[in-house]
Amino acid sequence: MEALDQLFIEAGTLMLAGMVFVFAFLGLLVVIINAVLTPLASKFPDPVAQSVTRPTLKKPAPQQGVSPTVVAAISAAVSQYRQKHKE
Amino acid sequence: MEQLNTLWMSTGLANFEMGQVIMMLVGCGLLYLAIARNFEPLLLVPMGFGAILTNIPLAGFSEVGGLLHYVYYAGIDTGIFPLLIFMGVGAMTDFGALIANPKMLFLGAAAQFGIFATLFGAIALNAIPGFEFSLQDASAIAIIGGADGPTAIFLASKLAPELLGAIAVAAYSYMALVPIIQPPIMKLFTNEEERKIEMAQLRHVTKFEKVIFPLAVLLMAIFFLPSAAPLVGMFCLGNLMRECGVVDRLSSTAQNELINIVTIFLGLGVGSKLSAEAFLNVETLGILALGAVAFSIGTTSGVLMAKLMNKLSKDPINPLIGAAGVSAVPMAARVANKVGLEANPHNFLLMHAMGPNVAGVLGSAVAAGILLALVGS
Repeated sequence: MEALDQLFIEAGTLMLAGMVFVFAFLGLLVVIINAVLTPLASKFPDPVAQSVTRPTLKKPAPQQGVSPTVVAAISAAVSQYRQKHKE
Repeated sequence: MEQLNTLWMSTGLANFEMGQVIMMLVGCGLLYLAIARNFEPLLLVPMGFGAILTNIPLAGFSEVGGLLHYVYYAGIDTGIFPLLIFMGVGAMTDFGALIANPKMLFLGAAAQFGIFATLFGAIALNAIPGFEFSLQDASAIAIIGGADGPTAIFLASKLAPELLGAIAVAAYSYMALVPIIQPPIMKLFTNEEERKIEMAQLRHVTKFEKVIFPLAVLLMAIFFLPSAAPLVGMFCLGNLMRECGVVDRLSSTAQNELINIVTIFLGLGVGSKLSAEAFLNVETLGILALGAVAFSIGTTSGVLMAKLMNKLSKDPINPLIGAAGVSAVPMAARVANKVGLEANPHNFLLMHAMGPNVAGVLGSAVAAGILLALVGS
């Protein structure tokens, strides 16, 4: 019985230490994302977004139909979606 | 006449023991669940078949010289298979929803309470005669609450290899049962109004963030929890290959061919541990019961944490997504989405639930690292 009590105390300590550590670890990750990653992200925007906007600036939008870049983007998204939901 | 006798003695029929027959039936049961009920078929088919093979009398699959013996020692005893699977899971995981709303990490952390509470429960079972779980055994059983197959197998192979079969069966069965176990608990702890809460649309996440994120996670594992580094490291490698955009071939291999090959052998290797002497005992029943408890507590604590955060945060948070904190990607997120749709047909929670869902994967890897560091020899 004494051995069991001892085990209970160890399990309790483990539970406490474990939960504190999990929260501390993931909490620190939240801080890192908010304090470092997100601010940095605005300095390094997606290169894709730029290359999409640039050609439309050069060629003042062909009015009839959908622009080829939009078609390309949509078809890429569709094929990606299909691939992901293949199963 | 003597030759006839020798021939008879070399048949399976003459050598069957009761335990082997029962374990073959257990293997057939797993095959039934996989094929007819579609329960985690990718793993349960090789696992169920492995259970049948390992119990064939005289065939010696799991003895020295037998195929399953080597599969187990090469891949599972060393921890290689679960780690390779983890790399593939990393390559399949999109952290975008989590980076867009990092607070969701707290939900992934809260759901890990299922693990640590079950650890306590496993020790409490020792009060019943017939149970003798050491702290190592209890930790390996508790990780079922992480709802993460490879993590559970990895930890069990390190801490309690003799319980591995039962733990793997429990972990994968309950993962398949997530759509049945979770909704009643989610509904019990939330009211109709809370389930209807709509959440703000997630912001766009840039490629830069997605590339840096796995490196940041790895750095934290290096600094604070090296015992989780095998799991976290392989996971981050897979994720980096996915997001960096220059090794699409490797990323595609990790999330398709490689993970498929490893899954076959992982299933067979785990199946080889389903022998009568290791599985047919009262401890297995205890493990199955504790696994269900672990899942339920994890779901509950995730939901309660989400309720708390909803009260404190200025952006509304639907408490249902807290249940997705128990990894089980992507099943748990789909369940949250489904229960949300029942309350409000215009409320799509799937993307929001993916945040806590992938946070749960990180959370259970961290929890496994803690258990390894504290009770591993």
